[in-house]
Amino acid sequence: MSATASAMSALWISFKVAGCATALVFLPGLALGLLLSRRNFRGKGALETLIALPLVLPPTAIGYLLLRLLARGGPFDPRRFGFDLDILFTWKGAVLAASVMSLPLVARAARVAFDQVDPRLEQMARTLGQKPWQSFVSVTLPLARRGLVAAAVLGWARAVGEFGATVIVAGNIPGQTQTLALGIFGALQIGRDEEALWLVGLSIALAFSAMWGVESLLRRGRVGP
Amino acid sequence: MSLRFDIDLAVPLHGFVLAVSWATDAEALGIFGPSGSGKTTTLEAIAGLRPKSTGRISIAGRVWLDTAAKIALPPESRGVGYVPQDLLLFPHLRVRGHLDAGVRRVESDPARALDPARVIEVLDLAPLLDRDVASLSGGEQRRVALARALCSAPEFLLLDEPLAGLDDALRRRILGYLLRVREEFRLPTLLVTHDPFEIQALCDESILLDRGRVIARGSSAEVLRAPGCGGFPATESLENLLRGRVVTVDEATAEIAIDDWIRVLVPRSGLAPGEQALIGLRATDLIVAVGSPAGLSAQNVVPATLVAVDETGTITARIGSRSEVITAAVTARACAALGLAPGQSVHLVFKTSACRVIPAGRPREPRP
Repeated sequence: MSATASAMSALWISFKVAGCATALVFLPGLALGLLLSRRNFRGKGALETLIALPLVLPPTAIGYLLLRLLARGGPFDPRRFGFDLDILFTWKGAVLAASVMSLPLVARAARVAFDQVDPRLEQMARTLGQKPWQSFVSVTLPLARRGLVAAAVLGWARAVGEFGATVIVAGNIPGQTQTLALGIFGALQIGRDEEALWLVGLSIALAFSAMWGVESLLRRGRVGP
Repeated sequence: MSLRFDIDLAVPLHGFVLAVSWATDAEALGIFGPSGSGKTTTLEAIAGLRPKSTGRISIAGRVWLDTAAKIALPPESRGVGYVPQDLLLFPHLRVRGHLDAGVRRVESDPARALDPARVIEVLDLAPLLDRDVASLSGGEQRRVALARALCSAPEFLLLDEPLAGLDDALRRRILGYLLRVREEFRLPTLLVTHDPFEIQALCDESILLDRGRVIARGSSAEVLRAPGCGGFPATESLENLLRGRVVTVDEATAEIAIDDWIRVLVPRSGLAPGEQALIGLRATDLIVAVGSPAGLSAQNVVPATLVAVDETGTITARIGSRSEVITAAVTARACAALGLAPGQSVHLVFKTSACRVIPAGRPREPRP
């Protein structure tokens, strides 16, 4: 494969993996953020700590844990449950690794976003006749909007940059699981400096355009009633 | 026929339990009391925002809360129009969005619901409809919060300190709007305030609350003069309220008949003949004269009979043939020097400029 072709394939895989991971993690992260922001329950502290773990542990540790859990004969081996998802050492494995690593960031950012909405505004909407889900849609979501977009961006960014867990769960297979992050490492190891530079350039372009897009989306002002 | 308002509430608070029991058929109710006495909590409990409240709430025969029968309607099913002290306007909505936020109106009986167009007219909101709420002045924001509550088709209006924190001119204007809303929509209302003038101007029946207990109940004027809680309200802050009808006006002043034969000269303040007006008069602005004073620049000298005199100089008097009383604060020394005693006939003297006037619209037609 030529340097350009493998770079473009890494770009595409990065895009696919980060996009899928963000999509997979956004709603659960939002739900977790809402739960932590609005409810008090037993074990809340434990849940918070558990969710924060992937932020603190070395990514390779998380990767290894995932590998052991999902490996043939492991406790979460999909074959145990009667189907073969073919996760390990495929792009799906990369998605899983990126998802686990970005969920805590999404949940935390979503929690902050919900914390910034005064619950009394939701109560006010209730006195106006809105059911809880209606006040969530009409008050909470629009007011938390910026923070929730930021949560998605943060999760996506974490997924794009993910290396340690991915390399263990999905390997570093060019054209299949080799993302930009893995590609740079791979190219350096075999001394292909030019290719590494190409990949770095692509990463910068990807990051720049994504951030630019989000900023202009947020700048476009309010969402009408 | 069930009462308009029938509550028997208990809400645990820090340090005490709020216990309010109150059944009445009056239309405009007031809760009066010092801060921290449980006024706002009572409103929130009625609105359904205090899950720990127990007891019974029945509004116009509909039960909103009955702990014994395990009934506790959620806020959205209660039908209150709630205007909290901090308004809680939605920062992401324009004024128009606030008026549409009441989903109950859409779902409810169109005959009972208020016409939003009428609300917009009464509160002069037409020029503001497309404005951001953050760009509105304090007075405008209050009107929007009031309009939002009215547009949600409420059965009961809850107002928390609607005039607190406004300067005098703005207070007058907002009070004018509240009086208009009252005339126009005739919604049962419960108002919370620590301001003596507000409660007299807006409420027919009131309670005085202290540390969660009802310590007086009656007409607003009676409650104000009930033996208060720790000197609340202070006599110095007491503002008397007189109601009357404008008889004549000239450029600077208006003459208001507060009785068949007693007229008071007040600043004109935009009054028109035939209009009803409220006159606010501070207890400390009243001079008590024994005998008939003459040669005064003060334009108002009205005959009164003393009802009660206490040694600190708080004097309660009845003007002419009116049933309600007004309060004057003089020094203990003046009280002793003049030998003031209940039953005595005196004159109350006050300047035109001491009168704070609020137009109260056209005369109220008698209740059916």
